[in-house]
Amino acid sequence: MNGISAKPFDMKDIFNTLNLGVCVVNADGKVLLWNNWIAKHSNVKETDAVNRSLEHVFSEPVSPAFLTALKNTLAYRLPVVLSTALHRTPLPLYNPSDTDQQQSRMYQSITITPIQSQLDESCCLIQVTDSSTSIKREKMLRSHSEILKKEATTDGLTDICNRRFFDAHYEMAVADAKRQKHPLSIFMVDIDFFKSYNDYYGHIGGDNVIKQVATALKSQLSRATDIIARYGGEEFVLVMPYLPREIAEQFAEKLRNAVFNLAIPHIKSRPYNQITISVGVCTGIPENDDNLLNKADTALYQAKLKGRNRCISLPLCEDEEYLEQ
Amino acid sequence: MNKLSELHLDALTEVFSIGAGRAALSLSEIVGDEVRISVPSVQVISSEEINSTTLSLNDGRFGAVSQHFSGPFNAEAVLLFTEDQALKIVSDMMGSQMSIDELAEFEHEAMCELGNIILNACLSAMADILNFTLNSSLPDYTVASADEILHRLKESSNQPYVMVLHIDLAIEKRHTAGNLVFLLSSASLTNLVIHVDQFLGKIS
Repeated sequence: MNGISAKPFDMKDIFNTLNLGVCVVNADGKVLLWNNWIAKHSNVKETDAVNRSLEHVFSEPVSPAFLTALKNTLAYRLPVVLSTALHRTPLPLYNPSDTDQQQSRMYQSITITPIQSQLDESCCLIQVTDSSTSIKREKMLRSHSEILKKEATTDGLTDICNRRFFDAHYEMAVADAKRQKHPLSIFMVDIDFFKSYNDYYGHIGGDNVIKQVATALKSQLSRATDIIARYGGEEFVLVMPYLPREIAEQFAEKLRNAVFNLAIPHIKSRPYNQITISVGVCTGIPENDDNLLNKADTALYQAKLKGRNRCISLPLCEDEEYLEQ
Repeated sequence: MNKLSELHLDALTEVFSIGAGRAALSLSEIVGDEVRISVPSVQVISSEEINSTTLSLNDGRFGAVSQHFSGPFNAEAVLLFTEDQALKIVSDMMGSQMSIDELAEFEHEAMCELGNIILNACLSAMADILNFTLNSSLPDYTVASADEILHRLKESSNQPYVMVLHIDLAIEKRHTAGNLVFLLSSASLTNLVIHVDQFLGKIS
């Protein structure tokens, strides 16, 4: 540390102010340098550590893996890392702020690097960092990022998936169905006469209806492969793989019933005087540029034209329709 | 590219097998269970020949631990495992103390340590048997795709040779295969051959 005294700082001050443990041992394993951080956390003063074997400086045992690593670094001059994951607490170090009677050892990350002393002696520099803070920080960041991830893909009003999630999921579901040649069903759902409901009952009432319909539709899903998303204002979309066309038609009917059974009054809706939905469904094994979503939308449009509160199913390719007729 | 004979490769396989044995011993001490590591083959090829087959890289992402060595010869050593396998190794090494989810925060450091143990063991075996010492940087851990890794390996034009060690690692019942790749300059390869020749001269 003497050669750099021309610098505007005393290196010893910096060495002792570092927020990490630094200690240097020589080839015999004797401590040459011992900074304040390590003195504070080990409760062993510099004067009690220097010139003593590192292994015996502490009142508690040092982990065997640490001693092996130290021995290897001294023998082969190769740097070693001891991770928190595999070692946790190699050295008996504590956080003095812990006021508990039973103090627990600090989680540590350690690196051991070979260095030469100015007397050309082979030594090891041992650096110890307290990893409990970084573990805490990482846990916090992860829980934040999980919340944000959920928020980014969830519709705020209904708590079902949002349009952004649907767009990404739809693309993947189509690609999967194409590759594995299995059928995929898309259901487009629209609440009938919703605009007049809003006009008559107000927007808060309207929001409530959207929430109730979303919950009723969602409760019909039981497979992990199926998703429901809010597509737009009062429109919903469901993506369900592996269903034969007849089953998909039956399921659309189930959706319509589930909403009908809510029996939400809507006096501006003729002839039922309650909230109903129209459903357009398209089922098929997608090939090339087939567009299930457009087809399901066409089916929904037909359901609206034919009087609402009904389900219309269209096959993905026209040939299938001919075959069925 | 005929600097290395079968005999050279056999000698290197032996050196690295000793290294692998040492690494297995260190790992067993940490894991508290038997760890077996073997090096079934060593290959030296020019970096142009390197492709996903020579490294048995498939799709997916890989964990790469790298260290730079300098001394009688300079090399960059990169230890490659698929990311899935890397996570499983770490989880096995840590026992059932935590779930795979929690592992993410420890993975980076633990993989650095695993790579460091294997790389240092191979280097120390070389030092003991071939009689030279090398300096080394601390390990770095990165996660990359096969393409990114191949691109990086081919990029280093001043290191036209690649020594590839196929590594088998078994912890408890899990069996994992990885690769240890040394990127060597032409001078470094020559120096390595000289040291292997000296070693072969001593034993014959």
